[in-house]
Amino acid sequence: MKLYLYGIIDSSDQITDSIYGLEGSGVYNIPFRDIGAVVSQISQPIQDVTESAVLEHEAVVEKLMANFAVLPVRFQTIIDGRDSLLSMMQSYYKDFKDNLRRLHNKLEFGIKVIWPADKIKENIIKTFRNGKQGKVESDSSLSKKFIKEKFDKYKIDKEFEAKAERFIKVMDIFFSRFAAEKKLEKLKTKNLLLDAVYLVEKDKQNDFREAFEHIKSGPPGLKYLFSGPWPAYNFVVLSKKSGLLKDSEQTVLFDKVTQCQALVGADSI
Amino acid sequence: MITNGIVETDSPEEFIEEIERAQNVLPKKIDANPKTVEKGLAKLVLILIELIRKLLEKQAMRRVEAGSLSDEEIERVGETLMKLENKMDELKGIFGLKDEELNLNLGPLGDLM
Repeated sequence: MKLYLYGIIDSSDQITDSIYGLEGSGVYNIPFRDIGAVVSQISQPIQDVTESAVLEHEAVVEKLMANFAVLPVRFQTIIDGRDSLLSMMQSYYKDFKDNLRRLHNKLEFGIKVIWPADKIKENIIKTFRNGKQGKVESDSSLSKKFIKEKFDKYKIDKEFEAKAERFIKVMDIFFSRFAAEKKLEKLKTKNLLLDAVYLVEKDKQNDFREAFEHIKSGPPGLKYLFSGPWPAYNFVVLSKKSGLLKDSEQTVLFDKVTQCQALVGADSI
Repeated sequence: MITNGIVETDSPEEFIEEIERAQNVLPKKIDANPKTVEKGLAKLVLILIELIRKLLEKQAMRRVEAGSLSDEEIERVGETLMKLENKMDELKGIFGLKDEELNLNLGPLGDLM
């Protein structure tokens, strides 16, 4: 019988709540020293990724999250058996402990912001055309005209980026006050101004939420997506030095964007 | 089923669209069947050439901005960049590739195209 792994928790005690996982089988903790791997037995490999299976996985992780620090494991992580699991736990014990300590009592929230990129660029172009038009003087030479066109575009793009940076900086000031760690991505697409994840202590989650409500009432034209609380999918860091698993397997264990989050609309939250 | 996590937005369709756009910058699989392998390889090579061309262009713009290029140098750089761009257009035409097919998400540097 293979073991389906949901997450690593900061406890070696048995789980007292009745939690049911994939295939309706009971979820239990396999202890290793002072931590544990939460698993259920699975009769066969998962053939299809279905929404219900992904949500079942996520539901287990979220139930664990209520009582433990959890390192969430990627959907579809199946271990050959108890011996393989314990061997993996031994190899990664220090990494797991470090992460559990760092992520203890913390939750992940996602913030995405869309801005009206075309309108903003249009305004920049308008201002640019009304003002100074770059440093290269236009003359009859084709190559100089080419450079001038490119330079104008470069200046406009640069201002667009700078504007994005300024917006993000202001928003981040509000969120960072209540966050222990953060990961921000600027302009993943021209419209997706900000794609951020924040790690927030449990007792600060209401403050974080209030900061979001405050930001929402800010400049018009921006659209927001708030998600969470999630297990800290984006903040698990494994050292490369760990023995048993190869690097590729590490990413399988703790994938940045889980299919589960994708299904609930919170991928790379 | 989800006991804790919520996703809250007034514009779900727009976010889905943008998230998909951000994820689909690179194809999930390389199309390497016998009929399309030539185009697939050309695409890969042209993406790399385009990346280098864009970097050269950006560097040139920085130097123009800093005022460190003489008139003659601007003339020469302009001619080179223009020829490079024309050659790329020619190659894209030969292999039937559009600009958006040569896009590459460079993370914090933004999109290539």
